[in-house]
Order: sequence, then structure tokens, then C-alpha cells
Amino acid sequence: MLRYGVRRLLGLIPVLLAAVILTFLANQAVPGDPITGLLSDQSGDAALEARLRAAYGLDRPLWQQFVDYILGVLQGDFGLSFRFAQMPVIDIIGEGLLISPVLALSALAIAFPLGMLLGTIAAIRQNSWVDTSIILVLVAGISVPNFALASFLVYIFALQLDWVPVAGWGSFSQAIIPITLLVVPTSAYIARLNRTYMLEVLRTDYIRTARAKGLREKIVIWRHAVRNTLVPLLTTVGIILGGLLSGTFVVETIFNIPGLGSLAIQAIFARDYPVTMAIVLLFTVFYAGINLIVDLLYSAIDPRIRLGDRAA
Amino acid sequence: MKMSNRISGLRAGSALVTVLVLAAGAAQAQTLRTNINADPAMVDPITYSELIAGDVIGNIYEGFTAINEAGDVIPALAESWDAHDDNMGFTFYLRPGVTTHLGNEFTADDVKYTFEALLNPDNQGGLNARYLSTIVGAQAVTAGETTDLEGVTVIDPHTVEVRLTEPDVLFPIYPFYFMDDAAVETAGDEWYLQTSAGTGPFVFETWDRGQRVLLSANENYWGEGPSIDGVEFLIVPSGDTAVSMFDAGELDVVYADNPSIRRILQTPELAEQSLQVPAAQIRYLGMNQNLYEPFQDARVREAVCIAFDRQAMIDGLYEGAAFPLAGQVTPGVAGFNANLEPMPYDPDRAQALLAEAGYPGGEGLPPINITSTEPNRNDILYFASQLQQVLGMPVEVEIVERGSHIRNMNAGEVAFFPWGWSAGYPDGLYFLSQVWYGPSPYNRSRWQNDEFDALIDQARATADNDARYGLYNQAEEILIGEYGTCPTTVRMQLALVSPDVEGVRLTPFRFLPFNSVTMN
Amino acid sequence: MRQVPVIGPIRRGLQSDFALRFRRSRNAMIGSVLVSIVLVVAIFAPWLAPYDYEQINMLAIWRPPGGEHLLGTDALGRDVFSRILIGARVSLTVAGSVLAITLTIGVTLGMIAGYFGGWAETIIMRTVDIIFAFPELILAILVAAVLGTGTTTVIIALSLVWWPGIARLTRSLVLSLREEMFVDAAIASGTRSWRILLRHLLPNIASPIIVRASVGVGFIIMAEATLSFLGIGVQEPTPTWGGMIRDGLAALRTDPHLALFTSLALAITIIGFNLLGDGLRDLLDPKVRDR
Repeated sequence: MLRYGVRRLLGLIPVLLAAVILTFLANQAVPGDPITGLLSDQSGDAALEARLRAAYGLDRPLWQQFVDYILGVLQGDFGLSFRFAQMPVIDIIGEGLLISPVLALSALAIAFPLGMLLGTIAAIRQNSWVDTSIILVLVAGISVPNFALASFLVYIFALQLDWVPVAGWGSFSQAIIPITLLVVPTSAYIARLNRTYMLEVLRTDYIRTARAKGLREKIVIWRHAVRNTLVPLLTTVGIILGGLLSGTFVVETIFNIPGLGSLAIQAIFARDYPVTMAIVLLFTVFYAGINLIVDLLYSAIDPRIRLGDRAA
Repeated sequence: MKMSNRISGLRAGSALVTVLVLAAGAAQAQTLRTNINADPAMVDPITYSELIAGDVIGNIYEGFTAINEAGDVIPALAESWDAHDDNMGFTFYLRPGVTTHLGNEFTADDVKYTFEALLNPDNQGGLNARYLSTIVGAQAVTAGETTDLEGVTVIDPHTVEVRLTEPDVLFPIYPFYFMDDAAVETAGDEWYLQTSAGTGPFVFETWDRGQRVLLSANENYWGEGPSIDGVEFLIVPSGDTAVSMFDAGELDVVYADNPSIRRILQTPELAEQSLQVPAAQIRYLGMNQNLYEPFQDARVREAVCIAFDRQAMIDGLYEGAAFPLAGQVTPGVAGFNANLEPMPYDPDRAQALLAEAGYPGGEGLPPINITSTEPNRNDILYFASQLQQVLGMPVEVEIVERGSHIRNMNAGEVAFFPWGWSAGYPDGLYFLSQVWYGPSPYNRSRWQNDEFDALIDQARATADNDARYGLYNQAEEILIGEYGTCPTTVRMQLALVSPDVEGVRLTPFRFLPFNSVTMN
Repeated sequence: MRQVPVIGPIRRGLQSDFALRFRRSRNAMIGSVLVSIVLVVAIFAPWLAPYDYEQINMLAIWRPPGGEHLLGTDALGRDVFSRILIGARVSLTVAGSVLAITLTIGVTLGMIAGYFGGWAETIIMRTVDIIFAFPELILAILVAAVLGTGTTTVIIALSLVWWPGIARLTRSLVLSLREEMFVDAAIASGTRSWRILLRHLLPNIASPIIVRASVGVGFIIMAEATLSFLGIGVQEPTPTWGGMIRDGLAALRTDPHLALFTSLALAITIIGFNLLGDGLRDLLDPKVRDR
């Protein structure tokens, strides 16, 4: 178990290194120039441009920029932002660091039980009209892109009914629509998985035995069956969080929420490489970390799983 | 050149205003809440290089001169100045009794310090550094050879002399932001986040990134007011949100962005509370004759200029909040020529001209892209569609990233583009000498005319205002008469001001400092 | 040489069974109806559209739905209905191209990795791992930013994030089949590798891959729309649903019709493809088939 964990951790290193190299190269290849972006429309001063280029180290050879960058990152220094003059990346990221995970985790906290509930109801009423309509709703939930759903929700609840503000961040009411947008596809995804797992579990001898013992159906379902679908569901938490993180990019952009997602999108558009690189790296580490934890948890819960064999 | 006469009259006017404000200011003072759409890129006057930072910094720091509500230049930290007899410099007489936010007296040393800091290569001096390039010894400082700016001499604490390498009659009106030379010593390299070093009506307090920038009233301000406790710039990325916050009473003053203009003008309650003032920004269609051969023919250029309907753009794209621009100096900026007529929309004549030039119905015209950035997408879609339909010109739209677009335009590598230029000070030379003067790095369409350039050179050395404005008009007539560009429109700036707030001054140069504001 | 007993009967049985089961599945039927409508619209859009989708009319900006313009007009007076129809064509072209590219690359590399193993497998699967390490959307945005905007860019960016999933699935399917008798027999009888891959393995792994692909179409359309929503997709004056929703959201307060109708079109399309994809999965995937 410990050896497996260490091996997985070591296995992360080449992946992260590759992620850094790819992001670095991608940033070099992006058309556009961060220095002219940094200068205003009205500063075409060539000397100033050269000074800035030197200040940001962009006059060094590419390999040296890369080596210096890696060395910096290892010491926790992600460089200076282009978009905000002379501001360390770490400060900029620090401000929005918690927002995206908070959004993602609150959405998960709501979506998980909701998805379990819907999936279970659909499974126990398999092939009834309840099942069919739940499936239809779930497909819709997964299918409608968050920005399309946003236009409906904002139109109805913010503009027509005036229950919540149109955008912004800081109050509870401002978080309702953004979190809903994240909850809808996530709970639909969980519900669909849970329905499938539940249908399998309901056929096992274990449940037959429970029923044969004369336990009430409610107890059979909610105590015994649900507990058994939890394990396979837990393994998908990594994928779910990945989807939620991607979701925060768009949702934060739509609602002007100052989290890492909208910061990343703005940084990519503004050619603010150091910020882009740092956020991509952070998300990659976070994503990989979650997957690792889930794997370890999974093998702890279910000893039948042979460690290291979950490539597919 | 003595400006003192005009100045004293204006001072009497502002004194009167001060009395009125004091009388009204008996009510409880408050903090004015207004919006900026992103974090400022900086809050220090040395690296200052963009609009949002300017909105904040303009309330904290001041220059030799300022602008009044009418857009005229008035003295600020310099009470008066003399031009040297050879026209190669100025002596400034600084206002006595001005203290900086650090409590020190504002002196000639601060002026010299600010200039040197702007030019020092270690400092990444921003926009204001460009006004200093004609000072004797500026190159040596920029090159890092010395930190002492030879051409600036401190004669006594309130007299400073600036010597230039070539005539520059506008030097006194350049919008400098002077800072206390003791700031770095007192508060270290990041002094601008710890303290405030200006002389302006407001003092920098805090900057919560992504949230707000807070200024407090300068109790010892030398001029009028302020009667409010401070100014809170709330960072509201979406203009629509800002308008909603105004509607909900969460903002007192909103500078509206272009996308929210439609909402404001379509909502009577909001439209009633809006101020509209034209922006000091020229807009034009750049036609690079080196990159697209047909543009070398003035008939083709004229055909392009009259093939689109400025009024349709104003009504359709700008909600009517704009008007046609006739020349390349905007109203409200000194040297504006009110006699110029906007170019007409005349498809028939455009087609005839194109046929005369040898391209009947657009036949034989090579393909061309009209290029701009995302915010100008609808504009270039309109231009392209008009030119295709009226002239049969094979135009494709191309949306590009801003940074590389500016770089390419500066390099003269963009053939056909609509762009604008906002004046940094209220004088027509800003537009003419930067955008259309041959050697200017911002002559992005590379239009060049010797006669025009000679007039601009002459204007730079002409101290008499009226004579100078006459030269601007002559130069502008050459540019327009040759169809060197198509002037397009002037956009209106739109601001929402709560009925409880008075004294907000919107000029062609955005808001003036909020020291004249009173709140109920 | 013809010893592939597994293939024949299963396929035949599937076909007869398939149509019947398909018709019984309500959701799959709804899905196929929606998809058919979208396909017809996409194919015949230029003839169905009442207006030229590029036609700008400054005198008719932001017309509400009804009257001369069924779904109103946009900020440039262009007919929203016509642009939604053409938008369907753009979406499906991108999705079809991405699907073709990812299936070709993913299946080829997946089969090579699964069948040959060794260093080829190491390289392919490491690459897959690296791509999986990035959040999908971020990677697509980065690639799109590098390549500049445009239809080709979107297709390449989405293909790049999509093929690893197909490759991984293919590899695991091939791995499990490689141990089967008929493969051993083919190898023993001296059949060349490429022939085993094409003739013996490919037909046997086809149906799970088709399932995977059909489930993927909806998500590819969604990803394309997301990229154009963020402004890095297909460029104007070509209409894209994502771009129209972005413009519409900015005007939601004064002129909601653009965002609402376009969102509806996008939602219906993806729902249709997902219902159809789920239906196909239920029918073709043996794991869930018998429930």
C-alpha cells in the first residue's frame, strides 16, 4: 500500500514535468506579444520595450528561460505577471486560489447526494415512466452546456423574477446560479452512474439474501444496496472533479467570479504566460492529487483491487 | 509665454466654487463609490501606463497644470511659467505651501526626482516618460549612464528650469504626476502600496486586488475640497453589473462601458441620470498604401471613405451615442476645426470613383483583410459588408489579439484597420503629431506628406495659440483633402450619476478628480 | 484462414434484434428523431434559411422575434433564425471531422499499443497519460491559442484532447482479445500482424468503439460550442452557436431572444445526440445489454 503510493507519487513527476514543458512551449508558440500587451496602445517606445523585455528575462535564450523557470518553481517562485506590472504571480493566484475549489467542492457536496437519490429512484422503478422521465432529465442535465443553461437561469431568475443578482461574487445569492450550473451536470452524471451500479447490485445474491431474510424493501435499498454502489461511485470522484474544474472556467467567466478559472482564461487571452503556466500547473497537480487519493482510498476500501492494474 | 492672466480669472472662478461647496458641504460627508472594470495595472505614477490606473492616479497625483471642466488647461502645481527666449526651455514657478501626502513640502526637487525616476532604466517608466525625451540629458539617463538629468535645474525650492534640445511649446501642459522624492526612502521599493506620495485631493489608502481601491480625502489639499471622506473604486468587471449596482444604490457614479450603453439608453429611469460628453478620441480607418496598391490612388481612398454610412453606424452600432467625425481633431480639444464637414455617404459617387480608378464594380481589386480586435468586431463586420456591397471590394474580416495587433500596426504591417487614438492632453497636436506625422511611431497606416510634416514641425515651435491652431487646421485639411484616412465617428462617454451626488465633472478626458463632489 | 467463428453469428443476431430493441427504447427514438432533424437542418441549411446569414442591416438591429424575422435579429440586424440554421452546419462539420480524426488516430494507436506492446505501447500510453493529466478544456484552449482562431484550429484542438480516450479503450479491448483462441490460432497459422489487426481484432472491438463514439458526439459539439463561446473557435462572419450565445448573453437584459433561442437549439442538438448515443450503448454494449 505504502509502496504503491510512493510509486504513484514518483510516477507523477514525469507527467508534471511534461505538463510544464508543454505549457511552456505552448506559451512560446502563442501568437502575440506579452510586452506589447503590457505596454499601452500609446507606448511604442522601443527603448522602454527593450528594458521591459530584459526586466522579464525575455531577452535570454529559450532554454535558459525554461531552466530558470523550473528552478524558480521549485523554490515556489512563479515569476512576475505581465498583465499586472511587476506583480508576483503567486500574489495574483493567491487571491483567487480558494474560489474555484470552493465552488467545485460545494457543487460536489450538493450533487453527490442528489445524484445518488435520483439514480436510486430510477433504478428501483426501472422501466417505469418515473425511470424514463428521470433518464430524460438526466440526459438533458448532462447535455445542456453551462453557458446555455446560464442564459435561461439568468433570464428567468435574475432578470424576470429578480430573485438573485445577474453576476458578481461575494454574497450567498450571487453564488446560487453559478453553483446550480455546476450541480446540474454533476448530479446528472452521478445519478446515471448510480442507476447503472444500482441495477447491478440489486441482482446480486447479497441483496436477494437480504430480501429473503424478510427485511423491508426500504432498508434493503437504502442500507444495503446504496452502500454497495458507494465504492464504484467513489472511484469516479476524480473524473467528476476534473469536470467540475473545467466547469468553473466557464462559469467564473460568465459571472465575473475572480477565481483561478476566469483568471486562467483572462491570462491566456492577455498572453500573461507566467500566470497561465502557474494555474495550469496547479490544476494539473490538484487533478492528479485527487486521482491518487481516490485510488488509494479505493484500494483501502476494496482489497480485491490489485494495485497498479487500473490503467483502463 | 505667460499664461498668468488667464489663470488668475480661472482661480477666482474656482474660489467661488469652493465657497459654494463649503456652504453645501455642511451635510454629512461620505465616501463616493464608483466603478473601474479591472484592477489597475499599477498605482504608482512612475510605471503608470494605462487608463484604469490613470482614473485612480489622477485623484492622487498632479502635474504642472490640470484641466478644468471646460477642457481648458489651468495651472496646478506650477503657478506660472516663462518660456525661455530661444524657445528651448521653460522656467516653472511652483505653487508655495503645497504639502505632499507624506507631510513634506512640495518643491523643485520633487519635480526633478520624478523626471529622473521616469527616465531611469531600472524603473520601467511608463507613459509619462515619453514627454521627457526632448529634455537635455534625457538620453544619458535612459541609457543608464547617469541618474542625474542635466537639463533640469533646481534654482530654488519653488523654481525649476527645464532645458530642451528642440522647441516643445506644449511642455507645460503635459499631464505629469509628481511624487514626493522621500517616498522610497520612507517606505521602500513597494512604497506605492504602503503609502501615498502625491499632492492631489485624495490619498491612497488600500488596494484589495480584485475588490477595490480606496482613497481618503486629503485634509491639507491646497485647492478646492474635497468635502467627501474619500473615493472607493470598486472593481466591477462587467459594465452590466456596474449599472445594476448603480440601480440598486450600491454605486454612486458609473462610467459606462460601450456594451451597457444600450441598456442605459433603453431604460428611461437610467437615461435620465446619465451624463453624455464626447470623448477626446479620434477614430479613423487606416489605409496603408505600401501594403495595398489600390490605396495609392486617392480616388480609391475617397471611394472607401464614402462607401459607408456614418449615421447608420451611429444609430445601429452605438445607440445614437456618437456623432460623425469630420477631421482628425475632436471637439473640446484645442485646435478643433468646426468648419470641416463630415464625409458623406454616397454609394453612387463611390462606385463611379472606383470605376475611374480602373476597378469598375471592384473588378481587379486584390483581396484584402480588414483587421481589428474583438471589441471592434461589429464595426469591421459592417465596414466589410458595406465595401463588398457598394464597391465589390473583396474584403474579409480578421479578428486578432490586441498585443500583436498593436505591435503589427506600429510596425506598419496592417493594411486596413479601424482604430482610435485618445488624447493625453487637450491640444490637437496630440492627434496630428502622433497619428499622422510622418516620423511618428504611431503613424500606423504610414500615410506621409511632406507639407503636413513641415506644418507640424512649425506648430511645435509656435508659442502663440491661435497661430498654432491655424497651422493644425491647415495640416488637417491636407490630410482630409487627400483622403489620407477616413475619419469615422466620435463616441460619447456615458456616465451615470446618482441624484444625491453633485459636482461630478465628466470632460472629454474622462472624469476630473472628485474633489468637487458633494453628497447628500 | 477463415476461422473467425465469433464474428458471424453475433453480428447477424445483433442486426435483427437491434432494430426491434431500438424501436422499443423511447429515449433512443426521441434521440434519433432530434438528431435526424438537426442533420436535415445542417445539410439543407442554405436552402432552408429565409435570409442571407451574413446580411447586415443597420436599420433592423435587435428586432424582436415575430414579424419579418421569425426569431428576431442580432446587433447587426442579421436574421437569427438563418444564423441558427447555418450554425447547425458548422457544429456538425466540426464534430464530424473531430470524430473521424480521433477514431482513426485513437483506434490505430490503441491497437498498436495493445497488440505489439513494448516501447510502442510505452510511448503511446505515456503520451495518453500526459494528455489526461491536463484538464481537457484548458488543453484545448491552450492549443487553440497556439494555433490561432479558425475552424481548423478547433478541429485540431478537440481531436488532440479526444483521441487518448479512444486509444485507451481500444488498447484495453485489444489486450483482452489477444488472449482469445482465435487470435492465437491466427498467429499460429502465420497470419501477418496487420491482417490480424484489421480482419480479426477490428471487427470484434468495433461495437464498443462505436458506442463510445456515438456517446462522444454530443460532448464534442458541447466542447466546440464552449471554445467559440470563449471566443477562440470558428470566427465571424460564420455563425457559431457558442459565439451567438456569448453575444446574446451580453444583451440578455435588453434583447434576450438571441441567447435564448440559440441556447435552445444547442441544448436540443446535444440532448438528441446523447439520447441516441445512450440508446446505442444500451443496445450494443453487452455489459449493460441484459439488464
